[in-house]
Order: sequence, then structure tokens, then C-alpha cells
Amino acid sequence: MQRVGVFVCHCGINIGHTVDVKKVSEYASHLDGVVVAKEYKYMCSDVGATLIKDTIKDHKLDAIVIAACSPRMHEHTFQRVAKDGGVNQYQVEIANIREQCSWVHGEEEQATEKAKFIIKSAVAKALELEPLTASSIKVIPQALVIGGGIAGIQAALDLGNDGFKVILVEREPSIGGHMAQLDKTFPTLDCSSCILTPKMMEVANHEQIELFTYAEVTSVEGSIGNYTVKIRKKPRYIDVDKCTGCGDCAEACRLKNRIPSEFDQGMGKRSAVYMPFPQAVPLKYCIDASKCLFLTKGKCGEEPLCIKACAQEAINFNQHEEIVERKVGAIIVATGYDLLDLSRVFEYGYTTSPDVISTLELERLISSSGPTKGDIIRPSNQQKPRSVTFILCVGSRDETQCTWCCRIGCMSALKNVYLLREKLGDDVEINLCYQDIRSFGKGYEEFYRKVRGLNVNIFRGQPSEVRRMSDHFKIDIFDIMTNKLFEVKTDMVVLVPAITPRVDSESVGRLLRLTLSGDGFFLEAHPKLRPMDTFVNGIFIAGCCQGPKDIQDTVSHASGAASRAATILSKPTLIAEPYVAFVEEDYCSGCGMCVTVCPAKAIDRVEKQSDGKTVLRASVNEGLCQGCGLCTSTCPSGAIQQRGYKDKQLLPMIHEIAE
Amino acid sequence: MKKNYALFPGCLMPTEQYAYELSLRETLPLFDVELVDIEGFSCCGEPMKSVNQLLTLFLSARNLAIAEKHHLNLFVPCAMCHLALSECKHILEGDSVLKERINGMLAAEELMYQGKCQVVHTVDLLHDIVGIDNIKQRVMQPLHGIKIAAHYGCHLIRPREIGRPVDSENPQKIETILKALGAEPVRDYPQKLDCCGAPLLTNLPESALTKTGQKLQAIQEHGIQCLVDVCPWCHKMFDERQTKAGETIAIKLEVPVMYLTQLLGIALGIDKEKLGLPLNHSPLERLELKDGV
Repeated sequence: MQRVGVFVCHCGINIGHTVDVKKVSEYASHLDGVVVAKEYKYMCSDVGATLIKDTIKDHKLDAIVIAACSPRMHEHTFQRVAKDGGVNQYQVEIANIREQCSWVHGEEEQATEKAKFIIKSAVAKALELEPLTASSIKVIPQALVIGGGIAGIQAALDLGNDGFKVILVEREPSIGGHMAQLDKTFPTLDCSSCILTPKMMEVANHEQIELFTYAEVTSVEGSIGNYTVKIRKKPRYIDVDKCTGCGDCAEACRLKNRIPSEFDQGMGKRSAVYMPFPQAVPLKYCIDASKCLFLTKGKCGEEPLCIKACAQEAINFNQHEEIVERKVGAIIVATGYDLLDLSRVFEYGYTTSPDVISTLELERLISSSGPTKGDIIRPSNQQKPRSVTFILCVGSRDETQCTWCCRIGCMSALKNVYLLREKLGDDVEINLCYQDIRSFGKGYEEFYRKVRGLNVNIFRGQPSEVRRMSDHFKIDIFDIMTNKLFEVKTDMVVLVPAITPRVDSESVGRLLRLTLSGDGFFLEAHPKLRPMDTFVNGIFIAGCCQGPKDIQDTVSHASGAASRAATILSKPTLIAEPYVAFVEEDYCSGCGMCVTVCPAKAIDRVEKQSDGKTVLRASVNEGLCQGCGLCTSTCPSGAIQQRGYKDKQLLPMIHEIAE
Repeated sequence: MKKNYALFPGCLMPTEQYAYELSLRETLPLFDVELVDIEGFSCCGEPMKSVNQLLTLFLSARNLAIAEKHHLNLFVPCAMCHLALSECKHILEGDSVLKERINGMLAAEELMYQGKCQVVHTVDLLHDIVGIDNIKQRVMQPLHGIKIAAHYGCHLIRPREIGRPVDSENPQKIETILKALGAEPVRDYPQKLDCCGAPLLTNLPESALTKTGQKLQAIQEHGIQCLVDVCPWCHKMFDERQTKAGETIAIKLEVPVMYLTQLLGIALGIDKEKLGLPLNHSPLERLELKDGV
């Protein structure tokens, strides 16, 4: 029988305040197979580790049970300690008596009893544990970055400059993301395109970066160090090698100025053949297949005018979508965010009047390359407004919409107030309604103070509705600072919408096997200590897909994610967890059920010789196996087993608890 | 299939807003909805809410328990009663201790509140249970060309959390019914969700009538030909007190106001008298409605 040692941790008072650790340790020392049990205040500390190592030597232990926090927290720590102490690192069993016991129970007596059961069950497994050897995986030193906004651009450039090959996939015709739509950035009022465009150019010209625009990742297979991804290139119907970006096709298009431009947030119009914005990267046109007359109706006058107009003969209506396959060692997800659909906040009249706009729409109005060339006009009558009112936190911090803070709304509104005052002059009234001004970043508070010093009416209160009158809006605001009800007449209303996860984040999450947090953003492995990691090894998240961020934070996050990916890519090989499936061929009937359930396609049926006959037997490719355990629970004869989680290791655990 | 509901009349409908009850009793049977009269109902409890919440809950639960005893769902045409009963259900659903306490109080009358009884209002009964198609099929005199605005009433739309028959910010069910009747509903006008003023009537009558007047004035200015409501309190303000409200804000108000069920009755071809139209105070003659068949 194996010699098992049990180590019970107090975790300060985290475990100690509800579980009687001394009693539990005493109990464990009398269990079958346990030769020693010890308790200590912080088992994960240096002193705790030394205690474990010394005990292993003194008592010649074969396996150890650590009764402490979740294995997600410290399993690796204790595996290292065991290895240093002379026990195979896979003969360590964690009994989680913190997250699954002390943290969720209040009564000491019952919690102590439960802790005993958890430990008893872990000891039963420890008795059956076998030494395992980890194998190694070859790392493909290439990375995939999904999303070409500022987060994706930063991550791709960082990795590219580190010398790794990067595949950057963007689903729009140009990279740039939301940042390209902004006019100026807070709090320094840097021109957004002036600081973004050079980076976009760098991506386009970088010899290590392979850029796919107008493309989407359709499948991701494999695991850390060795992912196979499929990328679907949507047809642009433009030969990008020939297109010079001159724009003659867009000028000629029959639908010129007829289609609301997505890039201009519907404030401007485009043709069916278009380039989202003048600084687009790549500087190539693209035909919108859902709008183009020739592609939707099969006929565009005598002949599509774009074909006639293009001197380069770049228009090609025979293009088809194309699937390309790439192999990468790590993936960075930087898919960004969406803004709240403002029609869901009906009371602010976004759907009923063109003069109620979102901040992003205002950005396009302010932008000198925008649809109005930078003139601030009321969309309804093309006149200069006499009064503009900003409403902050529309849908944010709101239990009926998005409970979270968007983190950029306050500053973006203050910045726009500043720019409007500059552009419109002093005779235009500017009002701003807020709940709290959250100007938390470096230089933000100073900027807020500057705006407060401008001639702006700032109300602390959330209007309950924007009321449409004959040619203006009426807004009642109860200002809680002066305790008065104000009635504001205004021409234009700018809503600062909540930031939401991408509408398709669920399907992207499924594709990459990422978990979503309650708010729908991608969940990080640890909110403080591993903010770029996910629970899938080798996949990292950067920017707003993890949660709302401003540009500064996004860039830091993206550089962090790139550096985390580089940690993997810079190694020639990685240690693979040995918890993979294997087949005991004597029991295998070759039915193939495991082959059909395996999501990693790691199992095949191969021909084997048995008693002089050729039979089919399951065979696991251990390099591909993810250790999910689906095959082991599917196998009718128990022939397929998972190392570290064999039936003979798990059943005693259940037996101990159900006894 | 016949749908039976216990009618919870409330206090205002049987004491002064007869037209609502008349029109309900005329129209609903045409859609196989039978209203059952039960003895023993008390006040819904809502008027006591700011003074004694336990009493309010007790009264609401008592009424619900009576309906449960007869194995019937409750039809509550008054928006205020509907709120009281819905809120009681919502609170007791989440508070088993309070529920037990209330049941202890109900035991004296051998009643027991379980929370099984559904509470429906005129709007969801017509829109969701009877159904728009059903209504459309029975329209005999479509109300073509009449521009009609709906007033839902605050009690019917809020608070969202306890579950109301219509959306809190953008209710559209009445408009959909009006459309089915052939009329031209004004789906959104700025004052749509404004209060009728009734809750202030006792303590601040002038403020109350100012609210009533302002809303009617706006409706008049928007060129809306008729206002429909679904709550006896709102109707009392807009219809009976219209002249008084006009005097308060020094404006001549001439807005025809009707219960939704009265208008429905007209479209179904029911005699005006049976629908209680002569009981309305507002100038219905401005609508120039044809006589019923």
C-alpha cells in the first residue's frame, strides 16, 4: 500500500475560521494508508513547502494530499514542492476545503465534518495514484490575432517585433476598429487617426505580419503550441493586386450616396463599392455583396458602371470565398465591443428623432474627414444647433440594461464638450447630465476640471425622458446638487451608450472554447493576477472583449497579452499534462463510439492483430488529446481510460463519500 | 373554448364609472369570455399602502384567496387594483414568512392564499388572451380614419420588476388593438406616459387638474381626435373632470374620451346606449360616430 501524507492548510483564517483544522488533521492521520498528517497556517508559503518536503523525506511518502484551496489556485505550486521533495508531481491530490467548504459554509461543526469527507475521498484517490511522466509538445512559433482594432494591432506589432510570425484576421475591409472612427482622444486631445494610422501602416508593411482583412476565423482545432485554424476570406469582388484605391469605381457606382456608411455610423452615405475610410489599410476597395445591384439582382443597367470606370480592370464578380489554413502556437482574441442598441432605451427617443445621436455618431460629425467635414449640424435640418445636451450613462450602471460602468463614457463626453465648445463658439448652449463623473486615469481629473471651467451647464441627475416638442426637445432634470428641477430646451441630444459584448461573442466563445463572464464579456483566468489569460491554455484576450477599457488600458492589455503569448512561442517545446486518454486493448471491442464523441479528433480505429485475426481497436493520439474525458464516460466496456482520472482512482473517491 | 374569469370590480367602477362595466359586460362575452360574479371581495388595499403595508397585503391576498377558492383567475379592469394584486403576488412569492403570517390572518375566514390565481387586466385579456386576429374577425364597423391616442395609466405600466401587462417605457398593446379596429393609432406622442393626475386629486386638487389639463391640451394640439383609456381613475380625470381641468389651465378642452372597451363595442356594432356612451361627459359628438347596427 502507498504511504500517503496529508497536509491541511489554515489559509490564514480563510479555512481556519469555519473549519477546525487541528481536528481535521488529527482525523486524517488515522485514515487507512495515511502515515502522517500535518497542519500549517500557510501551506503555500516557503515554510509550508519546506514542511512538506521534510515530511516526505522523514516518512518516505509515495503520495501526498494537500487540503487547501482550489487546484486552480495552487495545484502547480504543490506539484513543484512534491517534485522537489522526491514524490512524482502527479501523485499529488488536492482536497479543496476552501472554495468548496469553508467559504460557502458558516457553521463550524458541519464545515469541519464536510472537510473530513473531502479529505477522506482525496486520500482514497491518492492511494491509487501512479507516477506519470509528462510528454512534450513542439511549439509552432506563430501567433493568430483575431480582431484588427487597436488591441489586435498592438498585440500583432509586439509579437511581430519580437520576431514571431503573426496572422492578423479582421472581418471588416480595413483594420483600425473603433479607434479609427474617433476624432480626438482624451485627455491629451491627440488626433486619433494621427496616432493610429502609422501603426496601421506598420502592420501592413511588417514582414512578420500576415494580414487577412474581410476574413473570419471559422474553426480552431488543437491545443496550446499547436493550433490549426481555418480562415474564411470573404470575396471582395475586387482584385486587390490590381486595385490602386483610386475610388473611380465608387464615384461611378449607381448606388453612390445611397447606402448608410457603417463607418460613419449612418451619418454619411457610401456606394455599394466602397472603402470604409480614406486611411483604410489595406487601401483597397470592396464590393458590398448584400447591396450591389449586380450581385443581388444579377443586373446593373447595361453593364456595372464600376467595371467601366476601373482603369486597372480590378473588378471581378467571379471571386468566391476562400478557406485558408494556418498553424499557430498561440491565439490572441481582440474582438472588441459593441455599443448598446439605443432603441432599447426608448425613453430617450433615439428611434423617434434623427437629432438624438450617440457619441460615436457625434465623433463622425466632429471628424474633419467625416460626412460633414467636421461641421456640427442637426441631422434633421442641417442647421447649426443652438443647444446640445449630453446624457451620460445611457444603459450603463442600469439594472434593466447593462449593470457595469462603460469606463469611457464620462471622459469621451467631456472631450466632446470641449471640442464642441471650440467648434461651435460661445453662443451655443451645452448641457451635460451625469450620475458620477469617473475621471480616474492619469491626467483625466485635470481634464475634467478644465471642462468644468468652460461655459457648460453640468447637471447631476439622470433625465427620465427626452421629450420631443415641435422643433426642439424638452428635458426635465432634477439636479441633486442644488435640489432643483431644471427644464432644459435643447436642439440636439447626444447619448453616451453602454459598452456591450459583441453580439456574436457567444459563438466566438464557443469556437475558441472560451468562457463568458456573467456580463457576456470573455472571462479572464484571474481578475487581478491573470487578466490576459483564459482558461484555455494558449489563448489570450486583449482589449474590450474582456471588459470595457479606454485606449490606454487597451494598449497595455494588448501588450500584456502579446507578452504572455511570447512566453509560449519563445520555447521550442512545452510540457504537456499527462492527463490524456489511453486504450486498454484487451477490453476494447472496436465499436468506435469514442471516435464519434471526441471533440479533438484524437481517436482513430486501427487494425491490430489479436489471436491471429485482424481486429479494429481504438487508438489515442496523445498529442491531440485534450483530456476532456468524454471518451472515458462513453466507452461501454471501460476500455478507454484517462491517466490521473482512471475509474479505479475515481470510484474509491465516490465510495468514501457515499459510504 | 369558454374562458371564465372572476370579475374584481374594485370600488370606483361599481360606484361611479358604470360605463366601463357596461362596456366590459357587453363586449367580452362576444369573445367567449365569461365574467363570474363572486361575493365577498373587499377593497384591493392599494389606498392604504402608504399607511399600512401589511393591511394592504392582507386585503389583496384575501381577494386573491377568494378567487382561488372558486378555482378562477381574476379579471381586474382597474389598473390600480391590478397593481395592488400583482404586487401582493410578487411580494408573497419571495417571502414565505410573510405569506405564512398572512395565511394565519386569513384562516379566520377559512381562506388560504397559495398564489395560484392569475391576475389579468383588460389590455392583456384583449391583446394576449382573446388575440388580435380574433378581434379583427369580429369588427363590423371599422373605425376608419379616426386618429386615436392611448393612455395606459401609470399603475398599469410600472414598476417593471413586479411584472406588468405592458412594457414600461414603450407600451404598444392598446395601439395594436386600435389598429385591429381599423382606427389610426398614434403610436408615440411625447406626453404618452404622463400621469392623469388622479393620485393627487384628494390632497392637491389643483395640481391634479393641471396635470390632467396639460395632457389633454397636448393631445388637442397634436390633432388627435379621441383618447382611449383603460382605468376608471384615469377616465374620471380625462372625461368627467375635463371641463374643470380646462378651467384650471384656462384652456377650452374638447377631447372625446372613451374606454377602450367602449370603442371596441362601437367597432363590434354594439348599441351606444348599451356601451354606456351617454354616461361620458366629454364631447363624443365631435367624433360623429354612426349608430350601432
